[in-house]
Order: sequence, then structure tokens, then C-alpha cells
Amino acid sequence: MSYRVGIDIGGTFTDFALLKDGLKDGQVILHKNLSTPQDRSIGVMEGLETLAGKEGLSLGAFLARCEAIVHGTTVADNILIEMDGAVTGLITTQGFRDEMEYRRGYKESIWDVRLEPPIPIVPRRRRLTVPERVLADGSVHEALDEAAVREACTRLRKQGVESVAVGLIFAHVNGDHEDRVAQIVAEEMPGIPVSLGHRILSRAPEYDRISTTVVNAYVAPRVNAYLERLVSRLAEAGYARQLMVMQASGGVMTRAYIEAAPIRLLASGPAGGVIASARTGGAKGYRNLLCVDMGGTSYDMSVVRDGAAPAEAGWNMHHRYLVGVPMVQVETLGAGGGSICHVDKGELKVGPASAGAAPGPICYGRGGLRPTVTDALLMLGILSTGEGFAGGSFRLRDEGVAEAFAALGAELGYDAQQAAFDCWRLVNANMTQAVRRTTAAKGMDPADMVMLAYGGNGPAFAAIQAQELGIGQVLVPRASPTFSALGTLVAHPAIDEERSCSARADALDLDRLRGLWVDLAANAAAHFAEAGFAADAAQARWRVAMRYAGQNWALTFDLHEGRGLDDLGFVDDTLSARAIAAFNARHLAEYGHVRDGEVPEITGVRLTAQVETPMPPAGGGFTAPVVEPAPHGYRRANLGDGFADVAIHKGPDLIPGARITGPAIIEEIFTTIAVYPGWQARVDDVGDYLLVRQS
Amino acid sequence: MSFALNARLAARRPPLPTATAIDPVTASIIRGALETVCHEATTHLGRAASSPIINQSNERNAAIVDAHGRLAMGSIGTPHLTFVSQLTVRYGLMQQQDYDWGPGDVFVGNDPDYGGGHLPDYNVYAPVYDAAGELVLVQALQAHQGDTGGKDPGGFTLDATDIFTEGLAIPCLKLVHRGEKRRDAIHLLERNNRFPSFAGDLAAMIGAVEKATVSIRAILDKWGADMVRAAVNHAIDQSERQMRATVSAWRDGRYDATVHIDHDTMGTKDIRVQVGCTVAGDQLTVDLSGTDDRQDLVGVWNTFANSRGYIMTQIAASIDPDIVKNEGLFNAVEIILPEGCIAHPAPNRPAALGSFHPACEITEAVCVALSQVAPDRSAPQVYKIGMPNAVIGFDATGQMWMDQGVDCRSMDVSAVQGIDGWGSCPVSLGNLLLSQAEDGEARFPVINISRELVTDSGGAGQWRGMPGSRNVKRILEPAMAMAWMVSHDHPISGLAGGADGTPYLNHFQVGTPDEYRVELTARAQLPAGAVIAYQHGGGAGFGPALRRDPQAVCEDVLDELVSIAAARDLYGVVLTGSLEDYSLAVDPAATAALRGERIAA
Repeated sequence: MSYRVGIDIGGTFTDFALLKDGLKDGQVILHKNLSTPQDRSIGVMEGLETLAGKEGLSLGAFLARCEAIVHGTTVADNILIEMDGAVTGLITTQGFRDEMEYRRGYKESIWDVRLEPPIPIVPRRRRLTVPERVLADGSVHEALDEAAVREACTRLRKQGVESVAVGLIFAHVNGDHEDRVAQIVAEEMPGIPVSLGHRILSRAPEYDRISTTVVNAYVAPRVNAYLERLVSRLAEAGYARQLMVMQASGGVMTRAYIEAAPIRLLASGPAGGVIASARTGGAKGYRNLLCVDMGGTSYDMSVVRDGAAPAEAGWNMHHRYLVGVPMVQVETLGAGGGSICHVDKGELKVGPASAGAAPGPICYGRGGLRPTVTDALLMLGILSTGEGFAGGSFRLRDEGVAEAFAALGAELGYDAQQAAFDCWRLVNANMTQAVRRTTAAKGMDPADMVMLAYGGNGPAFAAIQAQELGIGQVLVPRASPTFSALGTLVAHPAIDEERSCSARADALDLDRLRGLWVDLAANAAAHFAEAGFAADAAQARWRVAMRYAGQNWALTFDLHEGRGLDDLGFVDDTLSARAIAAFNARHLAEYGHVRDGEVPEITGVRLTAQVETPMPPAGGGFTAPVVEPAPHGYRRANLGDGFADVAIHKGPDLIPGARITGPAIIEEIFTTIAVYPGWQARVDDVGDYLLVRQS
Repeated sequence: MSFALNARLAARRPPLPTATAIDPVTASIIRGALETVCHEATTHLGRAASSPIINQSNERNAAIVDAHGRLAMGSIGTPHLTFVSQLTVRYGLMQQQDYDWGPGDVFVGNDPDYGGGHLPDYNVYAPVYDAAGELVLVQALQAHQGDTGGKDPGGFTLDATDIFTEGLAIPCLKLVHRGEKRRDAIHLLERNNRFPSFAGDLAAMIGAVEKATVSIRAILDKWGADMVRAAVNHAIDQSERQMRATVSAWRDGRYDATVHIDHDTMGTKDIRVQVGCTVAGDQLTVDLSGTDDRQDLVGVWNTFANSRGYIMTQIAASIDPDIVKNEGLFNAVEIILPEGCIAHPAPNRPAALGSFHPACEITEAVCVALSQVAPDRSAPQVYKIGMPNAVIGFDATGQMWMDQGVDCRSMDVSAVQGIDGWGSCPVSLGNLLLSQAEDGEARFPVINISRELVTDSGGAGQWRGMPGSRNVKRILEPAMAMAWMVSHDHPISGLAGGADGTPYLNHFQVGTPDEYRVELTARAQLPAGAVIAYQHGGGAGFGPALRRDPQAVCEDVLDELVSIAAARDLYGVVLTGSLEDYSLAVDPAATAALRGERIAA
């Protein structure tokens, strides 16, 4: 028996998913224990020990049989939330000292003159410039002043700088000066890590690249130290393989690969859930998914298109800093079970403030006094005090809940029930509009998609939101409350990098394009080899980014797909015509028009390569005989049409083939599924739920 | 096209007719849905457009206007466009019968004498009807175009004496009839624009508006047109109530401010903008009586719609940011713009440069006046730059190129009470992304040499204005450069005892014997290799500089935002240690003594 373990560290819990080799149709074994914020690797080791025990093995014997340990972590995000990263310095081109301050003019609110500035990662005194200049074509306009670099190092050293970012103009076209700066920094500031712009994000424009590089420098020492600690704990305990780490792009890679650009971990937390969604939906034949994850404090939205979660490298503002590396696009709204309902200037508002886990909603009975979304669900009867909540760990209580909504209603001029119902409606509307904004930014219509709902609170709202969005089917996987840990096992080892190049699409220098792809392929092959994978095991997508001259946003798409990293036969004389045709088709699909007679330009090439590894089982279908189970009981609940006696079903009792017509409520172990009037829940052959709109 | 027309355009509109009652939650849900439609429209346009000013600078705005011409939903663009959008649509609404409006139509307007801002701001809009064929809403989308087909590329003509010099004026033109594009009309517009990319921009605007009308129709189907009408009425009423409640909390009285523009484009000096803000109970009146009305001024004519819009932009900055921006604000504020003054010109005046000046001085004067009642939310939402240095040339094929000069830089970011000026622009411009050297140099024969903050160029104050940037650029091929310089003699105004910002300066042919400072205007042919350098004005300070926290001054010196000399001379702060060694520290005793002397003096 061999094992694969997926681990996802969240704010409260560390989730584990254990996959056993040769296990047919079996459930993945799930486990949760509390996170250990002071040193997160401790909680990881505790959980592994528990899993080993479940398998009847010592930790050492268990780890010796682990083929892969795959890890998702919010450690980089936490550094930016707490702003406690390394003392960082920036060396940049003379004349460009203040790009980090300008932020290209961007401010997060256009109406609030009291908007505070972001906390500076590199205050002006630690942004130093050196004479040098490369031009757009890569030629050297002014040689690097090495003495100035040494002087800059001296000044950074005096300020106690622990990590250095280097961001020179046009370094993505010619990185020689940045490489030389790195050598000098190594001499002058031994042991200080250096982040180079053209290595971290090889594309224009300068603010995007320099900002990404600065954030990388800021998080690098702590992220790398954390991973180092975890790797050595695992090694001491008997794990002999590479630790694989989840990236924001949705692929996993070795710790050694991550070490060169730990920025790739930023926002990787939610990526696991999205990857699991793509896999689960795909196995059931749904290739276009709207994935919604509603937990305690936030509502995360993402899109799976054509069976994949596209990682986009663009204007990604994270924690007030621009980070341009490829990320699975996850939009977050401050709406969760703990979101506080309140009246502001006579208007009902839900969130963004959250009661969190402590004190939590009033109904948790842990001292919360302000009504939350979870409390509203209790008022509406969608949740109840009758049974265990969150896996049976505690019971909800109704003391103080009605009173809190009565007080809220008094401010609005109506009663407690109406106030709770309006909170439910409002949070619904907020989430629906957020979804529309997300899909609008991708040019997609939610009505063409299947919704996949997960997180503890997602399934309570999913169907009603789907209805608002014109969606007819909602998928709720049984494992949805622990989807991110599952996702780390679904994710494949992957490398996704780009190189800049600029040319009219009808005048391509094929040798140059081939050269850039060969470089990307060699880099990927080396890192895969280090992880124990042969290059010919890799599945490669050879891609280009293109736009019409003048456009600022390029569209990226595949030109060729195939096995192995040396299959460059597609770079031939027909490439140009194929690229133009493919671009025009994409442009028509995205924006509704094509510019006849205009020749688009290529702005970069990209290689997305991955190696397939064993995955948790997934499936679907409705071959089991249809049964209509009797309800476990009834309770008064309001599912949008007023209070009525609503059938209650126990999720663990439902077998494949079960059909439940709304209004009904299904109580699962870690979540509650509301089957709204006009909807039907169907349990598929692997035990997952599909909610189908009947009218 | 008359003062009388302007009065009709600006007249208060009644609510939409509906007997449907609406609860506040449903109203806010529908409002959110309409807001999302605007978001979709601007996002779509930003991604599909070709011109940097739209797809990089994001100089575009979506708004929804109701059947009565009221601003029902402003959106994601810039306030300076949001509050102008409804008057162009109102003029179109007046022509519904004559111009055969119907479902599936799309119109465009840009005429300053028919409710427009200035010619480059094309407003493309489309009516949306309910099932009974009644007009309910109009989706409008504005974007600043790179050219308008007038005398000078870009649409800014320094010596324009009338609107016709500046380009093609369009009161209301149908581009799409019942879903069919009018090729003839679109060709006419394309023909009157120097840039081939205009065709793509126009197609993107039409596409975005058409997409938005589909979304609005779905909202009408879902809620019913009457419920949507009720939601619009509710939102506008609520904003008016909140605005009036804000004004009620302000101290009654009349608050005046005078701001000067250095000169018009012909050199006539000290153009005056006079604003009187009167607070009486819940009524705010903004009166521009006393504003310059010399009819021979050139280049400083701000259109009627723009003057209203810019006044509202500053008022919106002075109130709780959560108050929804719609017609309710205009309903709550009386605006008096004397006929014939530079804030309300007679027909046919040139309009392009007026959106810089006096538009910004009007905004600034409103801020100075309101700072007496709302000091915690007072920071001028302006761009005091005369105009950016546009550089224009021709490539080997004879195709014109233009680097509009909207480069990364900092200017006019004043402090607000309690917060130093920061970033590169006032918040209301925070959606406009500035150009990058790597994008510009890949397109145009220029090299950006430098664009750093200049030490001591932020206005001193208890809270400091952000320093301005000095942008230095080399032109690699012969090109024409245009400039209009103001805000040198009259930089941005300090508030509550804070110092004014610092002067704008612009030098051409830098580093050669022919170097000169552009004091008024330039329309210069520059040789290959010429260097131009633009010092942008820093923001103004808030509150007396001698009250600034000495440690904050020390930090500013460490960051080279303030010099050691200025720390002593302007802030009364004495520092010990050395900047070189990062060992600077405040000498508390010497600082107290120096400040005491200064205050006594």
C-alpha cells in the first residue's frame, strides 16, 4: 500500500485528504485538526500522526510509504495581511525610483478622500537607483554602473535590509543587467536573498513586474523558512520524497521550484477548491462551472471554462499590491455565515464585517451579540437547533437570536422575521451581483454554466442564487466542505511560465519564438526531473498572447498541445496564419467583433506543462434506480415563499438514485443543502448531489 | 443651442410615473443589478478598445439615465464624466419623435452646446423599452477619444476661437437603427478621425452598450418595469435625503473662495473663478457669480454640462462616500452659473481645454469654500496641469503617432485633514491608469529618462501635500510637442493654514543652448534627440506646518521628500545625525525653541 496526502492549512483548521493507492471506488479519507499559527508545521505533523494511526502505522512507517505529500498554504497571504515580511530594499533604474509609490495612479476608492495609503513594503529610503538603461528592443542604451550598485548595497546594508528586489526597465527583454546586479549583491550582501524582475515576472510593463518582484522579495524569506522547517520535520520523521506545494496557478511543484519565486504561493489557498471543482464537474460531464465557496467570512467565486480553471496573469491586486504571476482567478466578497447584519443610515446592510469564529454568530452561544447570516438561516428554519452543527461538534442555540432581529427590524419599521428574511435576500443579492461582475470580467454568461457550491454555507444559498442568475443545475459534492485539501491531490505538478516578445503576427521571427519556447521547455524539464518526472511524461500546451495593435489586454490561447517538451514541430510557416485565425475567433467570442483588415500582434509566448499523477476517484451518472425517500421529519421553514412545513432529510442516509423535490432541506455532516421550491435534488451514482430546476 | 436650451436641459425632472410601492431592500437589489450592468459595460469596453486612453487610462464611464433624463446610476468611470453624462442624453430624449427612437437603437452625442462635456468625450447611448413599448431607461457609455477631427491632432487647439476649429460636433446621431448598424453614419465618424484605431474603439463602445441593454431588459423582465421605475425613484429620493441631511449638519452661512488661472492660451493674465457656497438649513447653493466673463478670453471656456459636473464631483468628495451618486445630488443642490461667464459660455465657444481650466479651478474653489464646513473631507479633486505634453509625429509609412503624455507621475495630491497626500492623483481619478515607459517606448520613438518625485515640492502643512514629479523624456525622431502651462503663478490652494502646492514648470530642448521654459503655450517642432522636462505641481498642505509631528518630518527627510533645510525653515524642526547614515533624529529642545520663535514672529 502506498499513500498520497493532501494538506490544506486554513485560518482555523488544517484539512487532510488521504488517497490510498489501489483503492477502487473508495472514499478519500478526510481528517481535520486545529491549525497551529505559531508554527503551522506542528499542526501538519500532528495530523499526519493521526492519519498514520488510522492506518495502524507509526508515523515513520506511514511517511515511508507516502509517494507524495502535497501542501496548500496561506503563509504568503498571511504575511501580506499582517504586513510582517522581510525588511526589503529595491534596486531600480535611475529615474524610476517612485513607481511603487505611483501605483500607476490606482486608488481603491474613487469617492473616499480619506482613503489611507497602503503600508509601504519599500519606503523611498530603501528604493535606490543605479545608472543603466536597456531599450525596448533589448539593446543597451547605457551600461550598468557597477560602482553605483555597490554603493546601493552599502546603503541597503546600513538600513538592515533582509531581502533585495531588483527591477530594471526592459529587463524582461534583456536581463543581463539584472543578473549582474544579483552577482554584485551576492558579493556585497552575502546571504541576502535577491529577487530579479525578469525571473519573477518576465513581461511588461514596469510597475506590474517591479511590484510583483518587490512582493516576492517581501514574502520570500519567511515562506522559504517555513517550507524549509516543514521539509526537515518531514525528513526527520521519515518522508523521503519531495514536498509538493500548491501554486496560485492551480498546479503543484517542488519546494525547490517554489523557492525561486515564492510569490507563486500567494492566493494559492482557494486554488485547490477550484481545481477540485474542475475535476469533479468534469467527471460528470460539466465543463463550464461557476464555482462558489461560502465559508464563515468570505464568498469566493471562480470560473471553470472548458474543463479547466484558467490561470490569468494580469492586474491582480492582492492586499493592495499588484501581483502579476498567473493565478486561478478567485474573486472574494466579504459575505459568509458570520457576516454581520446591520442598519446603516436607514439601509439594511450585510457584512463586510464578520463575527468570525469568535465570538461567532449569536446562535453559536459563544458570546456573539450581533445578528449574522447564520442567525438569519436559523430564524428562517433553514438551520435548526435540533441536531449537531459542523460535523456534530456543537449545537446551535436560539437564545437572543429573535431579539437581535427584532431590534434590527425596529430600526427598519418591521418585525424580526421580516428582518431575517431581508438579510437572507440581501446577502443573496450581494452574492449574485458579485458573480455577475466576475463573469462579466471574463465575458461569460452565468446562464450557460453549471454552479458548483462548496464551503460550509454555500449549499444553503446555491439554488436560489442559481435561479437569479438563470442557472438550471447546481452541483453539491458530498466532500464539498473539505474541497481545498482534496484539490491539492487533484492538482498536477505544473509549470506555467511566459516570456515576452513583441511582433506583428504576420511577420514572426520563427527562430526567436522557437528559442523562447525551447528555453521555457528546458527550464520545465529540469524542474520536473528534480521532482522525479521524465520530460516525456509532461503534457505541454504551447501558447501565445496576442492583441490588436493598441489594445492593452492580450488574449492568451493554445497554439498546440501535446506530450513531451520537445514537440516544436508546430512552429512552421503556417504558424502565423493559424495564430491570426485563432486570435480572431477568440476576439469574436470575447468581444463580439473582429477588426477586418487589422493584423494582430504577438506580445508573448507561454508554456503550460504538467505531469499527470494519480487522483482521487471521481465520477457521476444517474444509472441507479430512482427512489423517493421519506423525510426524516418536518420543520417550519421559509425557503423564500413564506413559512411552511418543510421536509427534512439526513444526507448520510441518501443513496444513489434518491430524488427529493423542493421545498426540502438536506442536512449533511458539514453543511446544509436547501432545496428551494421549484427545484429537485438528485443523488448521482457516486453520492454527489445535483440540484435541478424544474420550472 | 442657447442659454435657454441649457436651462431646459438642467431643469429638475419629475420622478418616473409608477403606482408600485417598493421596499428598501428590493430597491437596493435592483440598484445593485443596474450598477452591475454599468460595470459590465465599462469592463467590456476597457478590454476591447484600442486606444491607450481608453484601455490603459480607463478614461471611460458607464451610466444609466432614466426616461426623464435623470442620472439613475452612475458607475465605475471617473466622477468627472459620471456627472456630465445625463445632459447629452437629455438632449437626445427631447428628439425622440423627430429622430424615430425605438428598441435596438444606439445614438452618439458629443456637442458641448447640446449638453456635452467637450468634443473628445463621445457619449454612446441606447434606450431600453418595457414590454408595452414604454421607454424606461437609457444606457450611456462615455469615453475620451484620441482625436476629434479638428485642426490639431488630439482635439486640443491652443488658438481655437470656436468649436468648429476643434472638430466634429454631434448633437445626437443614430448609429444603430432597430439593431442594424448604420454604415453611412459610422463611416462619417471614422472619416472624421485621424486614428485608424478609432473604428475599433467605436465598435467596442457600440458593442458594450448593446450588451448592456440586453442585461437591462432582463432586469425589466425579472422585476417588471414598474418595480424598476419605483427602484430608480427610491434611489434618487434617498440620495437627495442623505445629501440634504449632510448639508443640515453643516454650519449655516456663506463661504466664498476665489481661485485664479495664470492666463488663458493667449496670455491674458489672472482669469478669475469665484465660488460662493451658501448653506441654509438643508439647502446648499453653489453660485459662480463673479466668475470671469471677458468675452475675448481664449481656451478657458468650460461647457455648461461640465461646470455642473465638476461642481458635483467636488461636492461628492465632501460627503460620506457611501451615499449613492445619482440625480438626487443635483436635486439637493442649487447651482447658479451666470450666462456668458467662463463656466457657462455662449454657443459655439471652443470647449476642449475648458475641461482642464477653468474646470479644475471651479472644482478647487468649491473645495476651498466647503473646507470651512467639511474640513475632514476636503481635498481638491483636480488636475492642475495645463495639459499633458502631447508629442506628435509621423512614422515611415506616413501614419501619425501621438504620445499623449499621460505618463506615470504625481501631481496635485493634496493632504486631507489627518492624512498626508499620497499616490499620484486625487482619489476621484484613481480609476485612470497612467502610461508606463515600457508600453510607450514600444509604440513611440521616445525614451523616458526620469519621472521621480522632487524633494520639497509637496506643500508644507500639518499634513503634507504629496511632492510632484519631474518627468523627463527624450524624443528620438523629429516631432511636434504641444503644451499649455498654468498653475505656476497660482498653484493649488492650501487648506486650513497649509501651504499652497508648488508651481508647474515645463522646459523644452533641455541641456542644449536652445533650452527654454514654456511660460504660456508651445506648439513646437522639436529635432530628433530633443529633451523635454515637465515638473508637475505638488499637492497642497493642510493645517499649519509648524504643527506637524516632528517625527513625521524626520521620516520625510529620510525619504528625501523634504530636505533638512526645509525641515528647519518650513516646519521648524531641528534634526541631529546624518541622512547618509540614516541616523537622523529630532532634537526636541531645539525644535521647541525654533517653533516658539516662529510662532512669536
